[in-house]
Amino acid sequence: MTLYDIIFYLFALITIGSAMLVVTTKNIVHAAFALLLTFFGVAGIYVLLAADFLAIVQIMVYVGGILVLIIFGVMLTNKITSVEIKTGTLNVLTASIVIGVFMGLVVSIMVWTGWYSMPAPIPATTAYGLGETLISDYALIFELLAMLLLIALVGAASIARREKESL
Amino acid sequence: MRQYLRNTWDGIYTAFVGMKITFKHLFTRAVTIQYPEVKVPMVDRARNRLYVNIEDCIGCEQCSKACPVSCITIDTVKSTPTDPVGTTSNGKKKALWVTQFDIDIAKCCFCQLCVFPCPTECIKMTSVYEYSEFERESLIYKFASLSEAESAEKKANYEKFEAEKAAAKAAAAAKPADQNKTE
Amino acid sequence: MYEFLNELLGNQILAMLLTAAVPLVFILLFTLFAVWLERKVSAHMQDRLGPMRVGWHGSLQLIADFLKILQKEAPVSLEADKPLYNFAPVLVFAGSFAAFAAIPFSSKLIGSEIELGLFYILAVSSFMVIGILMAGWSSNNKYSLLGAMRSAAQIVSYEIPTALVVLGMIMLTGTLSLTKISEMQTSSFWNWYILGGPGLSLSKFLLIPFMIIGFIIIYISTLAEVNRTPFDIPEAESELVAGYFTEYPGIKYAMFMLTEYANMFAVSAIVSILFFGGYQSPVGYLGNMLGIHWMIPFEQAFWFISKGLFFVFVQIWLRWTLPRLRVDQLMALCWKYLIPYAFLNLIIIGIISLL
Repeated sequence: MTLYDIIFYLFALITIGSAMLVVTTKNIVHAAFALLLTFFGVAGIYVLLAADFLAIVQIMVYVGGILVLIIFGVMLTNKITSVEIKTGTLNVLTASIVIGVFMGLVVSIMVWTGWYSMPAPIPATTAYGLGETLISDYALIFELLAMLLLIALVGAASIARREKESL
Repeated sequence: MRQYLRNTWDGIYTAFVGMKITFKHLFTRAVTIQYPEVKVPMVDRARNRLYVNIEDCIGCEQCSKACPVSCITIDTVKSTPTDPVGTTSNGKKKALWVTQFDIDIAKCCFCQLCVFPCPTECIKMTSVYEYSEFERESLIYKFASLSEAESAEKKANYEKFEAEKAAAKAAAAAKPADQNKTE
Repeated sequence: MYEFLNELLGNQILAMLLTAAVPLVFILLFTLFAVWLERKVSAHMQDRLGPMRVGWHGSLQLIADFLKILQKEAPVSLEADKPLYNFAPVLVFAGSFAAFAAIPFSSKLIGSEIELGLFYILAVSSFMVIGILMAGWSSNNKYSLLGAMRSAAQIVSYEIPTALVVLGMIMLTGTLSLTKISEMQTSSFWNWYILGGPGLSLSKFLLIPFMIIGFIIIYISTLAEVNRTPFDIPEAESELVAGYFTEYPGIKYAMFMLTEYANMFAVSAIVSILFFGGYQSPVGYLGNMLGIHWMIPFEQAFWFISKGLFFVFVQIWLRWTLPRLRVDQLMALCWKYLIPYAFLNLIIIGIISLL
């Protein structure tokens, strides 16, 4: 077991443990904060897979953007902590059957797929490759996404805009 | 638009003006007085700690009566002719032994009312203002110069003298009676 | 740094720990010095003397203060959310400490020479936002929560002008690596990006005014990101006690203070790397002149720390010059002034760099 493996299992443990916490905890704020560790663990695994750009984007977008948004939402919602959150277990039988089937599928795919395991050349950084791909092969999708974001921004601005007072 | 540009310029410009001012002050002399090493001189009539020159005190208790917070406690014993108290510095004859002269400075309100009635000007305000103590009891200043044994002795002396005087009086009173008797 | 230690010690874990310890020790020493500097500078700007008792001109005051803080009892309020309450200072400090991993103190003294250093620093600072929110919420105190909310809103808003200026610099340099950006500005102050960067062409001279604008924008917005006056509404003493760390005593409070000062240095370091040559000397190296090559990294570290300290000094200077902004003024400054200017600047730098 090398250092690499130890770090990988550490991150895996963080990810899975905190994900479990997100699902099981009854305190919605705790759940939101536990999500932080999940995102962080995933970013760590990305780094171990030599996807440095993706890892940083993961932290930047999920931790810096989405999680802050979630926490703001949770905190600003009035009396969120005293709300009865329904976490009772219902339909145990059906749920376990469905989950069992999916679990079996995933495991069987994992076991029976003939995985390639050859050492890939690890680039110093994926940023240059990603940049080139984004503006050559995927230029159209990239631009369309930019349009989508622009539309979202305009929409947000128009919702937040103060209504003109009718005189 | 012009207002916008103007705001931008003003924002940056005024920040720099302010920075210039604070930078100048960085090199002006500090006005701080390094207190325990350097002290602010007290004005002449400053009222601070009380001091009693017990040599001059005649035990008249005027100060203790004048005190609005009753912080002065005085106890005196009359002197006997055989053991005189002595004189004050201006030659006045003292008649009382001051066995106790306590000032509870913690109570003192620095009104200076005790200073004016003193006939010998022996109680006065000094310019000492640093007299913090760890114990409250240490703030009760005992100015009496007599020790406990001495006080007791003076008291005994006085009582003896009184007793003698009374005896003499009694004897004097008895004598005429005797004379009357014999006549 | 890590490779060198790894070869020296032959142990990966030990080398990693040692590499990580260097910025930690630096942060501790820097905080001791910076707090003293702050107190002295603020005092002299107000014609006072500041701490004078402990050591020469109070230079050991902070050690005394630190010892006092260490001995303090650490009560936790009954209604606080204890796991989050205890985790928040660690998270906040981890966020600012992580940024130091990518900051090149000299060409050799760098935690991790990653290609995406600049991007990485922008990203990990978001841990701090979460930590601050966590601290504010878990303290169960109105002041804390308000401070945390303000702080998060402020940091998230001011990340945009920072990122826009950084983007302009990335367009100009074509790299995200802080070491490479520093290396481009080598040999003399004439090559610093504040003076248009290396090379001698028309675009260099055209760039100078826009570089200065960019510098001012990034300096203001990083100042806001580290919650310094005039942008210190998250911890405004006169209204919010101490903002998000109101409820924290003793060593946890010390961790928040450590974070604040570490952040001050980190943003100063980024500004100095982007515009003022990072660890490059403005005039040339003594080591090169004398032919002692092992001396150069030390000289570089000296220049880097001096530049960082200078910008920290300017932050302190501004703190004792300007009054605090109101919340709406703060947001207006960011969204109505800094972001449009940053956008314009970005576009103009793009056009010039194409010339």
